[in-house]
Amino acid sequence: MLTMTAFPITSAPWGDATLYTLRNAQGMRVTISDLGATMVNWFAPDRSGRMADVLLGWNEQAQYRDNSCYFGSVVGRWANRIRDGRFTLDGVDYQVDQNQGQTHLHGGHTGFHHRRWHAKTEGDTLHLSLVSPEGDAGFPGTLHTEVSYRLDDEGTLLLDYCAVSDAATPVNLTSHAYFNLNGGEAGIGDHLIQIDADEYLKIDSVSIPVEQVDVAGSAFDFRQPAPIGTRLDWPDGQLALASGFDHCYCLNGEANRLRPVATVYDPTSGRELTVATSERGLQFYTGNFLDGVAGRRDYRSHDGFCLEAQAYPDQVNGADAERAILRPGEMYRQQTSYRLGVRR
Amino acid sequence: MPSPTTHRIALLFNANKIYDREIITGIGAYLSSTRVAWDLFLEEDFRCRLSGIEQWAGDGIIADFDDPAVREVLSHSRLPVVAIGSSYENERDYPVGVPYIATDNFKLIRLAYDHLIEAGLTRFALYSLPESPQNHWAQEREKAFSKLLESDGLVGDGVEPSIYRGSATSAQGWNTAVEALTEWVRALPKPVGIIAVTDARARQLLQACLMAGIPVPEEVALIGIDNDPLARTLTRIPLSSVAQGTEEMGRTAAHLLHQMLHGARLSATRILVPPVGINVLASSKHEPLNSPYVMRARHYIRQYACQGIKTEQVADYVGVSRSSLESYFRRELGCTVHQEILRFKLDIAKTMLEQDNASSADIAVRCGFTSLQYMYAVFKRELGCTPKEYLDRQLARKLVASAGSLS
Repeated sequence: MLTMTAFPITSAPWGDATLYTLRNAQGMRVTISDLGATMVNWFAPDRSGRMADVLLGWNEQAQYRDNSCYFGSVVGRWANRIRDGRFTLDGVDYQVDQNQGQTHLHGGHTGFHHRRWHAKTEGDTLHLSLVSPEGDAGFPGTLHTEVSYRLDDEGTLLLDYCAVSDAATPVNLTSHAYFNLNGGEAGIGDHLIQIDADEYLKIDSVSIPVEQVDVAGSAFDFRQPAPIGTRLDWPDGQLALASGFDHCYCLNGEANRLRPVATVYDPTSGRELTVATSERGLQFYTGNFLDGVAGRRDYRSHDGFCLEAQAYPDQVNGADAERAILRPGEMYRQQTSYRLGVRR
Repeated sequence: MPSPTTHRIALLFNANKIYDREIITGIGAYLSSTRVAWDLFLEEDFRCRLSGIEQWAGDGIIADFDDPAVREVLSHSRLPVVAIGSSYENERDYPVGVPYIATDNFKLIRLAYDHLIEAGLTRFALYSLPESPQNHWAQEREKAFSKLLESDGLVGDGVEPSIYRGSATSAQGWNTAVEALTEWVRALPKPVGIIAVTDARARQLLQACLMAGIPVPEEVALIGIDNDPLARTLTRIPLSSVAQGTEEMGRTAAHLLHQMLHGARLSATRILVPPVGINVLASSKHEPLNSPYVMRARHYIRQYACQGIKTEQVADYVGVSRSSLESYFRRELGCTVHQEILRFKLDIAKTMLEQDNASSADIAVRCGFTSLQYMYAVFKRELGCTPKEYLDRQLARKLVASAGSLS
């Protein structure tokens, strides 16, 4: 069917990759590369209509080849951590890449963020697909993954994920975009965040969840909006462990249904980000190790935040392991959207 | 299940101001979220009295350290104390040996200042308070203001920042005070963006401008601090304001005291809380206009649109003929005087619909529409929907595209 599109996607060479540009009626511009299915820039208006890039990253494609911060990329086959890189599936023990000490993180040495995805545009939708072969980073089964990006006139960028495999395998995909709603004029300390979650996962010294606890009475309670910077200053052993927030929230509401789960508001620019997802977990990360990273600017700790919708970290070793397994004949689905607007 | 130990906690605040009340609201919000049982001691008239507090048989205190008497009495308290107060530019001004939660004065002023710059202003002034031991925060806001102007090269080389402290409010001296204030505003080169250190102060200034016939926001764009609904309802032109992070200050204070009651030692903890928002209303929506007639006309319309004014009255106020006023409007705004009056009424009706839960009939009356039917007709013509449909549409917008369940 022929669809009418007011703002068709344009593309341009970017090093040895391609950069795609999505636009909308508000004059927003989102650029996405087939390298790592990466969101590179998102230019969005502030309260008075001035545009600024609200994402952290680099300008040059070459700098994304070793994207050790996972700036803007889709990470997989397993986003987040697996203890000792080990799990047991259908009675078989697997050892996958250990790329953060003993821990597996974000798909290991050959994670999806390093890969060149196959791109196809269809009107205002960008489809990116990737084949991860059997044994990739140690995971079983050949996995076919597709992620599509679409920007609408309300400022919503919808990420639609699906994947199929020819053998049972853990799958956990997420977008690792770092946002700074003031466009980088200051850190994210004055951003107000609200997360619809009554519980979060406490971590141990290697950032693996050990306990699901109530957020009440702790720095982690964002059921009412609170400034990120104030909470980073609350004395808290969990925050000390991760040098800030790097914790998974157990989202309220029914999973497998796209529902709003978090809002971040920057009073200075008036920009507001609303995150909706069909996932049950949301990793809140406050860019705790950005100090000294020479991105588009010289970044410092807490210059950006990530809201990564996903399964629970190390879920393959937990009580709910089966929910994180994709079996032949099934399809992995996830919808997550980021909507940028302004509060006047 | 045994009930947790009940602690007796005193809140030493003069909670007759919105700032203190919101802090106490934050403390309450923390308590209700945690099921922590505190027996709260607070004077029933919400005034802070210190006599006998040293002998008080309680477990902990959260107190307003902007009050020097409170600070003095509690400096040697044997009970755990969490202090709340102003941020200071100078490290030496902070109290020592007590966990301290501060409103970040520099960021409050910077948010207001940045907003005025965004609105297109290039000249700025600050309306402060007379120096007193109770309001060091006002002086801190002055320092922040001077620092911002300095870093933008707007002062220095003999140019001083325009800061006016005026006099303390008193019934006897009121007329003289208003005269002096008016004189100060009149003398400022226009257009000027003025930050007032509180909404109460902003309201006085707004009133002075209206009485002196100085158009707000065309000649004076004005913004206060506190986002106080009371100050807002007492002004004819809705007042823009910066909202302090008061509830978060209360939650943070309660959390720290909670930790201290369980043995945590936090005397070196200091947490600065940034502003949580800015409410941009008419008083700072500065749009540069060329025609002084249009400026004066809009100033009048903004104040009286909801009282059923007609084009003739506007022309009378401005002092030009109806037809020449119409031609100025066409040239500068591309609309008629009547359309401009309608636009103001419609804007106010929209805001009331979204915020107030008022009935359409009530809104029609309050916005100066001659009848409910007429308001419906205007909504239909200008927005293509009824007031109810408009409200539904706004609500639907707020519910993020929830695209339904996944298959």
